[in-house]
Amino acid sequence: MNAVLFLLPIAVFLGAIFVVLFVLAVRSGQFDDLDDPPERILHD
Amino acid sequence: MDVYCCTGCELAAALIRGAGLQKYYEERSKFAPRSRSLDDGWDAVPVVSDQSGVAATKLMIDGLRCASCVWVTEHLLQSTPGVVAATVSYATGRCSLRWDPQRTRLAEIAGRIATLGYRPRLLGEEAQLDRDLLLRLGVAAFAAANIMMMSAALYAGWWSSMDPRFVVLFQWGSLVLATPVALWCAAPFYAGAMTGLRNGVLHMDAPIAIGVVVLYAQGFAATIANGHAYLDSLAMLVALLLAGRMLESRGRRRAAEAALSLAASVPTSARRATADGVETVRADALHPGDIIDVGAGEELAADGMVSAGSGRVRMALITGESEPVELGPGAEVVAGSVLLDGAVAVTVSAVGRDTVLQQMAEQLRSAADRGARPTSADRIAPWFTAGTLLVAAATFTTWVVIAGLGAAIPKAVAVLVVACPCALALSRPLAAAAGLGAAARRGLLFRSADGLLDLVDVDTVALDKTGTVTKGALTVLQAEDETLRVAAGLERYSNHPIARAIVDEAGRRGIPLPRGTDVVETPGVGISGRVAGKLWRLHAGEASQVLVLDEHGRTAVILLGDAVRPDSARAIAQLKQLGLEIALLTGDHEGVARRIGWEIGVKAVVPRIDPSAKAEWVRAKQSEGHRVLFGGDGINDGPALAQADVGVAMGSGAASSVLVADGVISAASLNPLPTGFVAARACTRAIRLNQMRSIAYNVLAVSAAAIGFVNPLVAAVLMPLSSAMVIWGSARVEAVVRRQIQ
Repeated sequence: MNAVLFLLPIAVFLGAIFVVLFVLAVRSGQFDDLDDPPERILHD
Repeated sequence: MDVYCCTGCELAAALIRGAGLQKYYEERSKFAPRSRSLDDGWDAVPVVSDQSGVAATKLMIDGLRCASCVWVTEHLLQSTPGVVAATVSYATGRCSLRWDPQRTRLAEIAGRIATLGYRPRLLGEEAQLDRDLLLRLGVAAFAAANIMMMSAALYAGWWSSMDPRFVVLFQWGSLVLATPVALWCAAPFYAGAMTGLRNGVLHMDAPIAIGVVVLYAQGFAATIANGHAYLDSLAMLVALLLAGRMLESRGRRRAAEAALSLAASVPTSARRATADGVETVRADALHPGDIIDVGAGEELAADGMVSAGSGRVRMALITGESEPVELGPGAEVVAGSVLLDGAVAVTVSAVGRDTVLQQMAEQLRSAADRGARPTSADRIAPWFTAGTLLVAAATFTTWVVIAGLGAAIPKAVAVLVVACPCALALSRPLAAAAGLGAAARRGLLFRSADGLLDLVDVDTVALDKTGTVTKGALTVLQAEDETLRVAAGLERYSNHPIARAIVDEAGRRGIPLPRGTDVVETPGVGISGRVAGKLWRLHAGEASQVLVLDEHGRTAVILLGDAVRPDSARAIAQLKQLGLEIALLTGDHEGVARRIGWEIGVKAVVPRIDPSAKAEWVRAKQSEGHRVLFGGDGINDGPALAQADVGVAMGSGAASSVLVADGVISAASLNPLPTGFVAARACTRAIRLNQMRSIAYNVLAVSAAAIGFVNPLVAAVLMPLSSAMVIWGSARVEAVVRRQIQ
């Protein structure tokens, strides 16, 4: 059970990495327009 | 040598060809709007460049009709010198633009879009707000999920023994994760509460802010004292509230963007008479005193007075009358009206923003901002907050007396915690988003939830005739196929509105167009030419008739007029079924009005009514205690749209009436109107139910907490349950609308 003591912080830390990636994705505007990109591929 | 219908189209074609984008003409599935002049004010837009000297902005482009429109706009912008990057979204009409202010001006770029026939507008800051909310929501959801897992272990540990090291780890882990939620994610609620307080009002953010602060303070103290904390409830609450707020803001922005499209503008160019002939100039280069030539089928680029010539002009955009007006020397004409036949020389009296059209548009724009109204939840908020604080204080004093300070504090805190009105705060935004969505999917877009909810109280529906109940354009009402075929064969070369109506009708009936030869068009008289070797003459008969004469003088008639939209009668029948009074208001004379009224089943017809009288009529109805919805299109309906309790504009009507309207019908049909009423009623019912349920929850939970029955585990179950109830209640709006509208 002692494993939980260090596995849990590691798990939360890994999760936090994804939060950071999410923040970067939002900042770069990936979530601004969710309707258009799927259609765009058909137009070019 | 190509032939263009006007100099605007010629400009647009030259621009497209110059950029090597001819492919557009092969790919397009719909014609682009007419080329337009750019609105003023683009040079006044503040430009901020980043370190590399590149400026970025977002534009909204109105009038994009098909994928090719998007393609040509995007590529034209990309090939503009000085533009670093440009993308245009078809779904939203939004354009992200990055350019080098050293090499080009924003006005220049916007001007190119306008020349193509689309209308660029600067986009506000709201997109940024959405991003901010999304970030906060993401972080809150991450924290909530992790805290919940640790809390589940802690709750389990209450009954079975648990290693104290784990207890400490889970408690401190929860606190660490809850800290950004309380301090950063919940900041919009603190800000809202503070703004409210500063203005002396308590709205829904206040009890939420109190709840979150108490939750966090208790969590902090409990963690240090190794006690039971409510941190899981805290993170869950904030995440849910942020999700509700984001839904609300997205829905509102979408509706606003759709509603704010289309405003009145005038043609790009005009033909100016000079000492030795005629020159084509840009409309913005005209000055009062200039003389411009206007031919049949052309739109006026400026206000003025007819100095020579005669003809008939259609001023539907300004006066709302579809019947043409006869012009002679001395007659006043306004920009934006169309010369149906004849040819006139006009002495310009006003150009650009001084024209009647632009001034009406300007008035409408300034009237457009009606401001947000307080919601019913906001009205409850002060009582709610005061009640909660009172109950908490009473609980505290009672328990101090009964069992001392140590027992009193947790119970008072529990009261404040379960009183946090999460479900109540979600009641309206979720149901409103569902209602707005249900209406929007069926073609009725509202600027805000207020407009939709106001529909519930409406008992009278006043509809403008031209362009709302009818198509608002000349259409062939009656003609033999063979007559139409011959007429279309000749009229295909003409740009006249009547010619367009005839050619369109032939196309609709699938009649192949013959190729007329020796076609001669005499402005103001008619057109003649040969079809399959025989000579035909077309000329205007009385009252919107076209006479088609063959070589032997035999006459056939094509009857034109403003046709009722095919589904207007059905939509109006549905409105009546919903218990609404319908009235038809029109600037046309009584005969036309009665005929149309009979066709759609409306007895209350008010003919010969001018724009201000329409608003007056609405006001009179209102003073009798009625709540009125006004549905209209043209700019002339603006005052009535603004006066009505709910104004609904036709999106197909090219006018800034859309700016004052609460809602816009995006389809060329009245069908969305009854749907809107159904959605509004379902939505209001859902909100009322939601609010009753969440208040019932709060009363029960606060009573339980005051007696001392609430601990963190009970709160963790109760709070999400109450929110889930509200979410379920809101999701049913769409189902209700679907059941009632087949």
